[in-house]
Amino acid sequence: MDISRRKFLQIGAVASGSVVCAGVKPASARDLREPNPEWLGMLNDTTRCIGCKACQVACKKENKLPKESTLNEAANVGRDVYDAPRGLSDRTYTLIKMQQAKEGGKATFVKTQCMHCSEPACASACIVGALKKQDNGAVAYDSKLCMGCRYCMVACPFSVPQFEWQNAIPSIKKCTFCRETRLKEGKPTACSTACPAGAITFGKRTELIKIARQRIEEDPERYQDHVYGEKEVGGTGVLYLARPKMQFASLGLPAFEYRTVAGLTESIQHRIFQYFIPPVAVYSVLGGIMYYNQRRKKNGGEEGGSHE
Amino acid sequence: MNKAAPLNYNFFTPNVWLLIFFMGTGAIFAFFRFFYGFGSVTNLNAAYPFGIWIAFDVACGVALAAGGFTTAAIVEIFGRDKYHALVRPAILTAFIGYFLVGLAVFFDLGKYYNIWHALVYWNGTSVLFEVAWCVMLYLTVLGIENIPVVVEQFKGRVNLPGQLASFNRPSEWLLGQADNILNRTMAFFVIAGVVLSFGHQSSLGTMMLIAPYKLHDLWYTPLSPLLFLTSAVSVGLPMVIFEASLATVLFKREPETELLADIAKYIPMFLGTYLLLRIGDLAYRGVLAQAFDGSVQGNSFLVEFALFAVPYFMLKRRKIRRNALKLFLCALSVILGVVLNRFNVFLIGMDMGPEFNYFPSVGEFAVTFAFLAFGVFIYRMAVNYLPILEEQ
Ligand code: SF4
Ligand code: SF4
Ligand code: SF4
Repeated sequence: MDISRRKFLQIGAVASGSVVCAGVKPASARDLREPNPEWLGMLNDTTRCIGCKACQVACKKENKLPKESTLNEAANVGRDVYDAPRGLSDRTYTLIKMQQAKEGGKATFVKTQCMHCSEPACASACIVGALKKQDNGAVAYDSKLCMGCRYCMVACPFSVPQFEWQNAIPSIKKCTFCRETRLKEGKPTACSTACPAGAITFGKRTELIKIARQRIEEDPERYQDHVYGEKEVGGTGVLYLARPKMQFASLGLPAFEYRTVAGLTESIQHRIFQYFIPPVAVYSVLGGIMYYNQRRKKNGGEEGGSHE
Repeated sequence: MNKAAPLNYNFFTPNVWLLIFFMGTGAIFAFFRFFYGFGSVTNLNAAYPFGIWIAFDVACGVALAAGGFTTAAIVEIFGRDKYHALVRPAILTAFIGYFLVGLAVFFDLGKYYNIWHALVYWNGTSVLFEVAWCVMLYLTVLGIENIPVVVEQFKGRVNLPGQLASFNRPSEWLLGQADNILNRTMAFFVIAGVVLSFGHQSSLGTMMLIAPYKLHDLWYTPLSPLLFLTSAVSVGLPMVIFEASLATVLFKREPETELLADIAKYIPMFLGTYLLLRIGDLAYRGVLAQAFDGSVQGNSFLVEFALFAVPYFMLKRRKIRRNALKLFLCALSVILGVVLNRFNVFLIGMDMGPEFNYFPSVGEFAVTFAFLAFGVFIYRMAVNYLPILEEQ
């Protein structure tokens, strides 16, 4: 997936030039919401992570997630073998992946989990609003509201939400930010507490950005001058630092645009339903044509003609 | 103008038993889906949460049911009364189509029992929310548009057996009332149907725009809603032609070639608009080259495009329109083009990286075939017992 800024510029241009369903305003993304200074987040420092997976274990314990056998060994070996999972799943909310960056070839451990975006695409997409950004910064999921349509899985640029494929009554599963179990009691997330290397810093997002900047400034040899997630997809609650001369994309953190993912769909939706003008207009025009044709028929006493 | 009448054939022909067989097979797989989870039946996975139940049953289902609103618009709104014979079957198939779309959604929802949440818990930013509302309202409108057929069949003839006989009078009264009210308000519903169709046909095109980093450049365009709408309009008449041709063969009726050839003259107009928008958009965004890079997506696009473009040039010629077989093939080509287009947007164009793939399982196919069979089954039943097709 190679996403260039060009693609987006062109798309913006097409959108403003087009007359998609009687657009009045150009389809520029609406202004980004001002990030709430109260939002909590995590700063994942990939230069510090030693790949011990203590966070993974802590997360499993905290969320009481069942163990999982990931390689289908039961079928191949005759019994289950429990190795590190290959990807996020309904039983794995966070995962340490070893990424071999092309540049420098150094192995880097990168934690994956829900990014708790400032402008979550999943929440914009969810048909019933089962996913919502909370005041404390967590993007929370309500399984009682959810219909299981899986549109959030399509929408999330990081492919975070997972589905319980094996359950008769499946729910969406993803990192909860330990909202119910720990944040409520004022405790930091389980994964950040468990980390022995200080690679996960928990705190207010605004503070974390300051800390990140400070680390970059103090040790420019060690850090790349970029805080991933500060701006990407409109900002994320979980931020990343990496070594210099290393593409974040090769660490599994794609070079996403700074605008929100749901900007285009939301502005199209907006234009169609702004005061219901377009539907009402179409209705009136069609009504007018129908009326005209019926009058003509009545007056002329003939069937509607067809001209070629 | 001929009157429509029930066919009143013997219903349980071998073909009908075949349909029942397909429905039964699908039901078995559906049992596992409902009681043992998606994993037991489908090949869906984290990277491909939408499979053919969405790409075909829902996305294609909605597009292919466009025959209803296009025919209704041409005949009732634009007053081309001579195509009157085509309206009833088109409205009926649209109703069946949308009914099946609703059923397919129900099968595809993890928590199907929460389906009503879409009506209660609103999330205005969700494209799916709008699609859900439009589809539901339009299904209602289609139901209403079909009532006159039922009224016509039973009015003045309600004759319930035995105990139920006391309901004869109220039923008659109800039918009479419906007839009365509908006669006066039908225009309202016809236009509402067209407006609602515009709404959700285009919104289906907006749906995958939520995933700019997943959907391939060839399909990721802000024009997508307009392209979905114009392609749906383009496939409306080909669907009518397709169904009428099949009905001719299967029910051994006289071919309506004259009428179909005549209405087919509108198809190039719609197709032309669509093709112009499509090419213009690709050229403007400068992604046309990607169509020729030999990738799966590129090739899939080329096939899709050919399926639209060939019938466009063919159907411009009167001689071809007047040839029943060629007309049928052209209609089929447009239909396949739309089907492939929807697959491209919902599945093939979703570029999830090399480590992920999806191909529908036997169970997914079986359930999809069951839906198709069920649709044909209802259609067969309706034309047999209700005045849908015109007498010959
Ligand atoms: S990472 Fe994905 S699931 Fe998490 S908040 Fe962002 S869009 Fe939603
Ligand atoms: S699966 Fe549930 S949470 Fe996800 S979009 Fe659908 S209703 Fe919302
Ligand atoms: S915040 Fe909580 S749920 Fe999320 S990865 Fe960390 S421990 Fe798991």
